[in-house]
Amino acid sequence: MLRVEGLTIRAGSRVLVDDLALAIPDGRITCLIGPSGCGKSSVIKWLSGILDRSLEASGRAFLDGRPVPRPDPALAYQPQQDALFPWLTVAENAGLGLEMRGQSRRDARARVLPLFAPFGLEGCADAFPAQLSGGMRQRAAFLRTIVQDTRFVALDEPFSALDAVTRLRMQDWLCARLTETPRGVLMVTHDLHEATQMADRILVMSARPGRIVADIPLTTPRAARTEAALADTRSTLKSLLLKETS
Amino acid sequence: MPRILPALLFAALLLAAWEIYCATADVSPLVLPPPSGVLRALVVQRHQILHHAGSTILVAALGFSLSVSFACTASVALHFAPWLRRGAMPLLVASQTVPLVALAPLMILWFGFGLLPKVLLVILVTFFPILVSLLSGYARAPGAFVDLLSSMGAGRWQVFRRVTMPSARPAFFAGLRISATYAIVATIFAEYAGARAGIGIFILTAKNNFRADLVLAGVVVSAVLTLALLGALHIIDRTTARRFREASDATR
Ligand SMILES: Nc1ncnc2c1ncn2[C@@H]1O[C@H](COP(=O)(O)OP(=O)(O)OP(=O)(O)O)[C@@H](O)[C@H]1O
Ligand SMILES: [Mg+2]
Repeated sequence: MLRVEGLTIRAGSRVLVDDLALAIPDGRITCLIGPSGCGKSSVIKWLSGILDRSLEASGRAFLDGRPVPRPDPALAYQPQQDALFPWLTVAENAGLGLEMRGQSRRDARARVLPLFAPFGLEGCADAFPAQLSGGMRQRAAFLRTIVQDTRFVALDEPFSALDAVTRLRMQDWLCARLTETPRGVLMVTHDLHEATQMADRILVMSARPGRIVADIPLTTPRAARTEAALADTRSTLKSLLLKETS
Repeated sequence: MPRILPALLFAALLLAAWEIYCATADVSPLVLPPPSGVLRALVVQRHQILHHAGSTILVAALGFSLSVSFACTASVALHFAPWLRRGAMPLLVASQTVPLVALAPLMILWFGFGLLPKVLLVILVTFFPILVSLLSGYARAPGAFVDLLSSMGAGRWQVFRRVTMPSARPAFFAGLRISATYAIVATIFAEYAGARAGIGIFILTAKNNFRADLVLAGVVVSAVLTLALLGALHIIDRTTARRFREASDATR
């Protein structure tokens, strides 16, 4: 269990996030949903140790009850854009996290190559990111995150750059990958549909100041999540979000 | 190759027009020699010219390569020490406002007629564009890339090497091209101000002898040298890292 307590983030005198607490259980998908600008990215960035230096933050993170530094090696961060380096091949991009964690380039390559087929990137190892489609780029970014084999993963709107169809496909695909190798996932989104399809738990965040205002568990198994089964949860979320944005 | 065809065609047309003008209009070849006259001067004086060009190439190449390495080193220092940047930048900008006509004689006055003053002048002229383009290239490193690496536990130096430096590559080559066009001109200027050999001296002597054809021959040599330097840079840009070119082509 990764836990955040008493997180307050300020921009000068403006309070962006106010005394926020949240917990990310192992092997589950926790979605953080909230209106634009409420501070979702800021929370994830703080946890990953990359909060903008102009912002002031106080708060603590605990892993299994022990305080941890940020960035914590047990957490892999994936930014809002795919952030693939255009001058590295797809394989080099995918192995970047491993290299930064101390592996040699050769070991990192050996480690990522077998995952290219299951990640739908067959034959792309030595291509450059610019040669891939949007969906493939996103899968390459996921590969870079997942291959780091961390207990926890923080994803900032991982599907926002994709078209509607690719997005649906990638959501199912990511859930399948996470069933194969379970991780504790904190995923930011502002897509209600996405959150209700993927999450085990949805945290709703308010704007100005940012806090968690609702914690909604989803007990229906993913396979049984039809539009009808989710209707109630969606309308609850919708009214919460609309209240927060007004 | 087909890409330089329009340029060649254009130059040929211009030369033809110039040749025809000289042949038909009543203009003394002492004032405006035709291209064929310049070519003849180039051929006749080739030994002289080669001797002078050699000296110019040595100074320009030495000055330019020193300038590139100084600029790279300085850019790293200025990048990592903002206070140094704030302190040094105004001085560097001011140094660029000193006119060459003042600088060149001063260099000769202080450092004599040897290699040193000429090389220094080339460095002074070419250093700044490379430095500025490197710094602006560094600033263009995408924040998301920096964030990603930092979240993986990368230190400042690793971020610099893996993101900041590669991001600055296009800007770096743009700066190199600008500086390269100054390098030969600066060398010739330094020679003009005082030297024993060099294209600058060749032009000066030609001028003093009222030989417009030789002055123009000197101009041709200077242009050829500059183009050769630019061509070399282009080849280095293309071959050193094919991947960078592909990457920047794709984002264009
Ligand atoms: N460096 C900064 N300085 C000042 N204010 C900032 C800074 N970074 C972010 N903010 C402000 O903090 C607030 C939260 O930003 P953040 O990016 O965390 O929101 P978000 O919930 O991720 O929004 P979105 O859904 O649009 O991605 C915004 O109002 C933004 O203007
Ligand atoms: Mg955001």
